[in-house]
Amino acid sequence: MGDDKLLNLILLCIPLSLVSFGGGQTIVASLQHQTVDILHLLSGPQFTDLYAISRAAPGPGTLIVALIGWEVSGLWGAVLATLAIFIPSSILLCILGSYWQRHRHSAWAIAAEKGLAPVAVGLIFAGVFAVGQSARFTPLELATSLGAIAVLLTTKTGPYPLLGVVGVSYFLLSLAGMA
Amino acid sequence: MDKPVGDIGMEREENVTSLALLASFLRLGASSFGGGMAGWTHREIVERRGWLTDDEFLKTLTVAQIMPGANPVNLAVYIGLKLRGVAGACIALFGMVLPAFGVILTMSVVYQQLRSHPEAQAVLRGLACVGIASSLTMGIKTARRLKGHALPIAMAVAVFLMVGVMRWSLVAVVAGAIPVSVAATFWIEREKARG
Repeated sequence: MGDDKLLNLILLCIPLSLVSFGGGQTIVASLQHQTVDILHLLSGPQFTDLYAISRAAPGPGTLIVALIGWEVSGLWGAVLATLAIFIPSSILLCILGSYWQRHRHSAWAIAAEKGLAPVAVGLIFAGVFAVGQSARFTPLELATSLGAIAVLLTTKTGPYPLLGVVGVSYFLLSLAGMA
Repeated sequence: MDKPVGDIGMEREENVTSLALLASFLRLGASSFGGGMAGWTHREIVERRGWLTDDEFLKTLTVAQIMPGANPVNLAVYIGLKLRGVAGACIALFGMVLPAFGVILTMSVVYQQLRSHPEAQAVLRGLACVGIASSLTMGIKTARRLKGHALPIAMAVAVFLMVGVMRWSLVAVVAGAIPVSVAATFWIEREKARG
């Protein structure tokens, strides 16, 4: 059973690797939808937990697949899911990279560079939407998200100080029985 | 696996040993907290090691950003490929991902230990909020680059609806959307050039 789940996860990661423009943020929608609703590898709240850990951890957000792999079948799951998400895109890069470099000033190459942005924007918002739906936020959590967006957009603060502040606040709120 | 495969047009392969390459990328992988990865990589590869010139580095940066995959990892893989061929690319990928992978597995283990505690649950919910906020901020900042052109905005909205709301296959939507988006951009750029 665990092997079937792991195989499903690997078969999910390989094609996603080839469309993960800009990294993990663009493929979150599909990861959530597939692992929770279609393949039933995780529950909704579990996915939200793993998403939170992957966003708080250093390194690429793509490593959320390592967390999912670990949940599905331990160390092997984590290793294989990680290989499945990085190797296909790396192979593509090695094959197409030098070609791209030679032709980067052609009109089509410039159009390709600019044309990717709207697709990436749509995917990032779809990812936020998917995680938000699966997390079923309370009003307090919604307010936290909105506050964090305001801080990130209007100040030069990075996400790490915010993660620290919010993490500690929620811990204290939980001790006080309020969150 | 440990022989450089072919010459990618840089004649510096002899002075870059596999071990030095691995050491450099492990160091970079371990320092990949948050953003600023390109800056770290430039410092290590161009300034400290002198493996690439400024100009070469900038070219690799563009390619790493445009291709699918996490940008810092792409940058590492492509630099590894240029310096030592396929073996170099493998070493770079391994070095870049291993430290972060170690950290994330440690976090997994801790999570499994603490999962049942309500405090841990609350902390994770809080972190998820910040994670979502930072994704959304990134989305908004990228959206600003569309500069209010009707076509790219329509494209972004269509992709969002298909993948997020209708839950169509992300891979299929992207495969369909990219040619359309690139063709539309090509046309817009050409019209702009004609004035």
